[in-house]
Amino acid sequence: MYLILRNIIRFLVVLLFQVLVMDNVMINGYLIPYIYLLFILLMPFETPVWAQLLSGFLLGMSMDLFTGTAGLHTAATVLAAFVRAHLLKLLAPRDGYEPETFPRIHYYGLLWFLKYTFIIVLIHHLALFYLEVFQLKEFLSTLVRVVASSILSTVTIVLSQYFVFRK
Amino acid sequence: MRTLLRFIQKYSSLFLFLLLEIIAISFMIRGSHYQHSKLVGLNRQVTGYIYSRVDGAREYFSLREENLRLAEENADLRNKLDRIVQKTDSALVFSELHDSIRYFFVPARIVHNSVYKQYNYITLDKGKKQGVFRDMGVISDRGLVGIVLESSASFSTVIPVINRDFRLSAKIQTNDYAGILHWDGSSPRYAMLAEIPFHVELSKGDTIMTSGFSSIFPEGIRIGRIESFSLEKGNFYDIRVELFTDFQHLFHVNVIRNYRQEEQRNLENRTR
Repeated sequence: MYLILRNIIRFLVVLLFQVLVMDNVMINGYLIPYIYLLFILLMPFETPVWAQLLSGFLLGMSMDLFTGTAGLHTAATVLAAFVRAHLLKLLAPRDGYEPETFPRIHYYGLLWFLKYTFIIVLIHHLALFYLEVFQLKEFLSTLVRVVASSILSTVTIVLSQYFVFRK
Repeated sequence: MRTLLRFIQKYSSLFLFLLLEIIAISFMIRGSHYQHSKLVGLNRQVTGYIYSRVDGAREYFSLREENLRLAEENADLRNKLDRIVQKTDSALVFSELHDSIRYFFVPARIVHNSVYKQYNYITLDKGKKQGVFRDMGVISDRGLVGIVLESSASFSTVIPVINRDFRLSAKIQTNDYAGILHWDGSSPRYAMLAEIPFHVELSKGDTIMTSGFSSIFPEGIRIGRIESFSLEKGNFYDIRVELFTDFQHLFHVNVIRNYRQEEQRNLENRTR
């Protein structure tokens, strides 16, 4: 119960932080750090897949409502949630995740978290940016934006682990 | 039957994933109607309120810059007024003037503004209550900003030049040739002018302004200047226009109410 409440609060904090602060932080004209994925990343290991997918759907919908885009963030975030559910199995340590731990640097180390975050962020950004452009005409320039934005988002998310969402 | 059930159970998360993605993509496909839907109208009131609360802080930090710009504009307007007063010293002229008033400006504050997306939108703190309606033009003190897309009771959304869906007729000041202004999504500082035929003589720095062919903007609202041009694709120039309006530092705008927009529209519809 406590866990669910904590996740709901995190959902709201991450969402508001994204639309009110991060959407105004733009680096070099192209890049917005999408920190709202942090919510997807930090959900407990035991979360059932359907709950992960539905949370991704709700989070994406809320982003869409704030930014005035139709279904764009929803599609990308549901994909991110789906990938996460399967990626966790791939990245699991030999004897599985220990109970009472969370997918954080604190428990599984920087390298693990970096791998985990970057893959999900990259897939999310690939979907987001290409769906936004909705054509392959500017394939390369979009790819540059995807990679650059992914690095920026990952760095922001990892840094946030040291400052805000430490435990 | 049992195998089917087991199959569904085994891949239930995959099915849920596909279902949610189909919903999301159907939103995207109906995207153009989405901006006008009831849900978004309600949402515009809510997010508009949240944004306007937070925006106070952002505005505070640029007060000095903003003051300077307003002072400049003030001086400019005073000069223009002076010229008019010198020209007109009889009451007669005022009645003439009254007849020629077609446009009225509603000042508005920007409460939300996106710049670095492909489909950028601006939210203003004025809506139907203040007389801001769909298809009204929006300008800043520097030049063209965009067109009102939709308004709720006290907020409205604007589709700015820097949105891939934006189209407006614009002309070159020096020779009055008109083309279509649009945006290629690359940089918020530049827009593109298309459909200027190859025989027109152009030079860098020529001013681009609104043509006045639509009922949205009066003629001669400044848009930008020609930054570069090329003749790659056959008969028409690719013209890159440096925009006068700095969308990254935009706080106050004016919405243009055209008193005769309705009249012009009705006439045009009847003739068609």
